[in-house]
Amino acid sequence: MKHIDILIIDDEMKFAGMLARRIGLRGCEADVCYDGSTALEWVKENRDHVSLILLDLQLPDMYGTQVLAGIKEINPAIPVVILTGHGTEQDRQTCETLGAYQFIHKPLNIDVLMTILEDIQKAAE
Amino acid sequence: MIQKIQTYMKSVWPEFHKHKKNVHLMPFYTFTDYWHLWTMSIFILAVTALSPLCIVTLIHYQLIHQSVESELNLRTERLTASAKSSVTFFMEERLNALIFTVNEMGYDQLSGNDNLVEILKNLKLGFGGLTDLSVIDMDGNQVAYAGPFNLEGKNYKNQPWFSQSLEKNNFVSEVFTGYRDVPHIIIAVRSIKPDGSFFILRATLDTERLIQTIFSYKTGNHADVFLVNHDGVLQTPSANYGNIFARLNFVIPENSGTKEVIMSTNRESDTILSGYSYISTKLVDTPFILIVHKEKAGMMLTWLELRQNINWTVGVSVFLILLVITFASTFMVNKLYRVDKAKAEAMLRMEQNQQLASIGQLAAGVAHEINNPLAVINQTAGYVKDLFSFKDEPRSDEEIIEHIDSILDAVDRCGTITRQLLGFVRQFDIKIKKINLRKLVFDVLSFHKKEAEYRGINVTVTIPDTIPDMETDSGKLQQILVNLINNAFQAVEEGCCLDIIGSLINTGTIELVIQDTGCGIPEDALSKIHEPFFSTRKDKMGTGLGLSITYGLVKKLGGNITVQSTEGVGTSFTITLPVKIQEGEFA
Repeated sequence: MKHIDILIIDDEMKFAGMLARRIGLRGCEADVCYDGSTALEWVKENRDHVSLILLDLQLPDMYGTQVLAGIKEINPAIPVVILTGHGTEQDRQTCETLGAYQFIHKPLNIDVLMTILEDIQKAAE
Repeated sequence: MIQKIQTYMKSVWPEFHKHKKNVHLMPFYTFTDYWHLWTMSIFILAVTALSPLCIVTLIHYQLIHQSVESELNLRTERLTASAKSSVTFFMEERLNALIFTVNEMGYDQLSGNDNLVEILKNLKLGFGGLTDLSVIDMDGNQVAYAGPFNLEGKNYKNQPWFSQSLEKNNFVSEVFTGYRDVPHIIIAVRSIKPDGSFFILRATLDTERLIQTIFSYKTGNHADVFLVNHDGVLQTPSANYGNIFARLNFVIPENSGTKEVIMSTNRESDTILSGYSYISTKLVDTPFILIVHKEKAGMMLTWLELRQNINWTVGVSVFLILLVITFASTFMVNKLYRVDKAKAEAMLRMEQNQQLASIGQLAAGVAHEINNPLAVINQTAGYVKDLFSFKDEPRSDEEIIEHIDSILDAVDRCGTITRQLLGFVRQFDIKIKKINLRKLVFDVLSFHKKEAEYRGINVTVTIPDTIPDMETDSGKLQQILVNLINNAFQAVEEGCCLDIIGSLINTGTIELVIQDTGCGIPEDALSKIHEPFFSTRKDKMGTGLGLSITYGLVKKLGGNITVQSTEGVGTSFTITLPVKIQEGEFA
């Protein structure tokens, strides 16, 4: 099974697609899911083949924290970075409790993301 | 001196008179017109307190007046009665003496002049007041005479008193002058001789004696006692109406048989009490009426003095009551005003908070909606840039990269704004933790350590170790410090100073001063620095939200922030914060 560096879970298709392409340009593999349930299915299938998951809080079928809890149930080892447009302090605390790796506000600077990925991969080695 | 008076007046002048000064508070006051409230309070209290006083005083007046008046009536009545009995006795005594003489002596003895002189002498000794004595036969001829005047042989047939004497057994005349031309009174007793004819024993009374008797009843300056006849002609001199034979100018009431006192006015329109009594003896009616006049005003002097005292007492009482009422009303209305003002201020604060909260919610909505398209712009622009950077396509066009960079910069700035707007919303809930101010300041400064070293900025922190731990929202306090320290770093040039001084100004308040020797804030901008979106940064990199958020946060923590700045010299922000706050205290 192919190794995926970053899974982007975001309902904003243009954003997710563009980000995936940019990650690709930087020599990494990225995949995209547009809703929570698809994302959870994807994680079930690729539970050991993903380095980092980028998760939006506002998804069409469920709230991001639910997805985070689901992912942690499937594989607690996968680092999940929350990327949100308007997360509240409460969201941040919930996510931290649930074991989120980081909590970042949009708009996202791709260099920050790449640094996080590098850190994670270095730590994994 | 005038200034002193003005200061004093300001301290005494009730606070509530200033209630219209703060227009923002006006809609929240329960009472709009404190002047009206004050005057109404004074009016109602005054009416309640003063009306019973006035009513009681009036009743008191009335009662005293009535009792004084009835006392005056009684006194006048008593005086009239005493004077009357004296005059009556005076007449009766002398009439009885004549009757006794006539009955004892008989005509034969009396008609002898020598005997008559002897009798007159005895009568003068016994009773006094008699001038002469004469015996007159039924034809009016004077048969015998004893006395100082030369009246022997006179005929009295045509004298009015003679005809009147013939009609009755006894007779008392008015005062008249007669042959001797001296005012006198005649009393006469008729007696029947054995032959059936009759004779008259006549005595002349000295009016002086009568006048003295009457005068002895004249007590005080306000009394007048005199006799008049039935036609209103004075029989004894009067203090007010003239000498004997003067005519009275008022009508004497009819004889009611008893002595009476009536109220009337005299010539000078003064009220007088007048007692009158028709004098009649047991033997015969006399033509005299005794009149006693007493000037009311004079007799009322005691009452007037009393009334003056009452007036003074009532006046002073009314003044004191009004004074107390005014003070009490002012005090009460002031209290009311203070409570009302506190309420109005709380309501204003609440409304401002609500406005801020709704602005915050709006801002959050905007930030939320804008963040997603911003992310798309960001990624798209980033991708275009990536295309140029990674795919060796027309790389020569530096200008395109430049434009893309400016798009990315703009997106970054928008991102900062939306983050701050979201922070603006978040400042509405408070989470209290125990924190050490000194540690917090050093934590915040650690972010700037490199920059300070690189730019040669001299940062000094003066916060004593003894400063107590604060119980406040650490996140908000941190954000305040971050904002102010960021501002200071942006304002200073290389080699400048930044001082952070913390101190405990009283048991419950900490003061934190953040001062720099930077560019300063222009004077016209000082008043606007707390307004959202106001920025002095020329490079357009400031969002203008930092200080307005800081201001809101400081207020949220129950503190205060002031700023002093001189352009080109530096700026100093002073924050005072309570050491401990409770959740919801400043919501």
